[in-house]
Amino acid sequence: MRPVDWVVLVVALASIVSYGLYRSRGSNTVDRYLLASKSMPWWAMALSIMATQASAITFISTTGQAYVDGMRFVQFYFGLPIAMVIICATVVPLFHHARVYTAYEYLERRFDGKTRVLAALIFLCQRGLSAGLTIYAPALVLGVILGWPERVTTSLMGAVVVTYTVLGGIKAVTWSDVQQMCIIMLGLVTALVTVVVLLPHQVSFGEAAYLAGAAGRLNAVTTNFDWQDRFNIWSGLLGGTFLFLSYFGCDQSQVQRYLTGRSVAQSRLSLLFNAVAKIPMQAFILFIGAMVFVFYVFERPPVLFQQTELQRIQTAAGYEPVNAEYNRAFESRRTAALALVEAHKAGDKGGEARRIAEYRAAQKDIDSARADAAQLVERNGGEKGFTDVNYIFLSFVTRYMPAGIVGLVIAVIFAATMSASSGEINSLATVTVMDIYKRYVHRGATDHHYLLASRLATLFWGVYAVAFAGVAGRLGTLIVAVNKVGSLFYGSLLGCFVLALGFRRVRGTAAFCGMLAGEAAILATAKWSDISWLWYNVIGCGVVVTAALALTWAAPRRGETPLSAD
Amino acid sequence: MPEPRDVPDEPPPFLGSWKRVYIAVFVYLGAVILGFYLFTRAFR
Repeated sequence: MRPVDWVVLVVALASIVSYGLYRSRGSNTVDRYLLASKSMPWWAMALSIMATQASAITFISTTGQAYVDGMRFVQFYFGLPIAMVIICATVVPLFHHARVYTAYEYLERRFDGKTRVLAALIFLCQRGLSAGLTIYAPALVLGVILGWPERVTTSLMGAVVVTYTVLGGIKAVTWSDVQQMCIIMLGLVTALVTVVVLLPHQVSFGEAAYLAGAAGRLNAVTTNFDWQDRFNIWSGLLGGTFLFLSYFGCDQSQVQRYLTGRSVAQSRLSLLFNAVAKIPMQAFILFIGAMVFVFYVFERPPVLFQQTELQRIQTAAGYEPVNAEYNRAFESRRTAALALVEAHKAGDKGGEARRIAEYRAAQKDIDSARADAAQLVERNGGEKGFTDVNYIFLSFVTRYMPAGIVGLVIAVIFAATMSASSGEINSLATVTVMDIYKRYVHRGATDHHYLLASRLATLFWGVYAVAFAGVAGRLGTLIVAVNKVGSLFYGSLLGCFVLALGFRRVRGTAAFCGMLAGEAAILATAKWSDISWLWYNVIGCGVVVTAALALTWAAPRRGETPLSAD
Repeated sequence: MPEPRDVPDEPPPFLGSWKRVYIAVFVYLGAVILGFYLFTRAFR
């Protein structure tokens, strides 16, 4: 990082914090602190929802995903518009008119206290685990790329987030998210323009897209079905719909964003904006990754982008042959790519077909050499299942982007981390106070008392997130497992809300037992099958509904006939 | 501690009803998937 990069980074961070705090003045009641007095316009909520969902690792990882696997990851978001429409038509007016602070508060009104507290605890477990990782994951990558100590990065990001979240509450979070989203979009557009400008002069933008497509990097839609494949049109449409229904309908970190709307219509518009904008945005990020791939067709990339692991294997037996094969394949690919561009320009179809075959064969050799290098890492004490996907984009940024732009991209990483983290901390505090403390520990206190409790709970979850991030490095490969934990909880939460909305005769005990059965089914699927985690929500939701309906049918309340369709 | 206030339910600012807005979103999704499918074929 050069001085101008530091200036850009510091100015970006300072403006985020000061603007968020400025807009959050007067958050001196619980209603203002947790729900912004239901005064937010749709566009601020829309950008906040988008920023909360997009963590730093989303940007780092998505570009790398396109580099190694193409754009098919975009299909993951095909279920999002469907989920948003369902949520707008059902839970948005329901939550608003129920006048609740949390989604789980509604469950007590519909079922009973134990169902509410089970849902709240499931949320606290799931979000609590991911809160630390949201800060730790980008700190880990920045540590390897820039040499920054992880503890310094996590502490800096954590301190900034905790400051404005504790002081300003949901208003500070939302207005900071708006600014963070603007910085993120500015950074992404700048990154794409820069990578296109850095391409060799004989390769135009259209030819770069042609080369990316010829290497399978523009494969946005794949129609083959596979239970173990996360990214095809079917898993995106069905699995994605259930995942986003769970995330936007049952996860307080998102529900709280749209509960701040000044009307039901404003909340709906904020979600529908995401329904429309999210897919093009993800496609845009993936396209940046595809262009980085084309850039590296002409500029030799390292065999592995993770420098620490690369240095580890450079002295190991077996590295030299892998590196030699990689260099040979790279030269073959570059020669074939240039010849392919010439044949394409000349309209020589026969030559084009031959060059495409050579280009793809060289790409296969490169992929094979990179896989061999990854295996060397594993054999020399590295992480099992090692991958350098998360390091590709930032490695490119720090090596090739001009001064100032590097600072802007690092600011994007910080902004994305802070927006995701502040939303998590804020919602964790809200659930802790409203669903646990106010309900079971201290009922009937003053507004001032609960405001203070909310601030303290926010501080607690902020400190916890930073502390968890501090020890996350010691968990080693468990990090992967912990990351996966998030997908283990959503299905049962979704099933409970489906029961609440769609099956009037189901009561609290049946819903409670259904949730337990759904959670058991998800855990069993994760442990004993190879089914992709994207399907866990479908399975969990299905088991919750089936089990609760079976219980209601088997044990109807006194004076009722067995269950019939509602 | 007061409950959060109830908020009004309003018609959408365009297309006249929420049902039409939702249909427009589904039409948009179909167009996006078709667009990506054609994009994939064009560059395959």
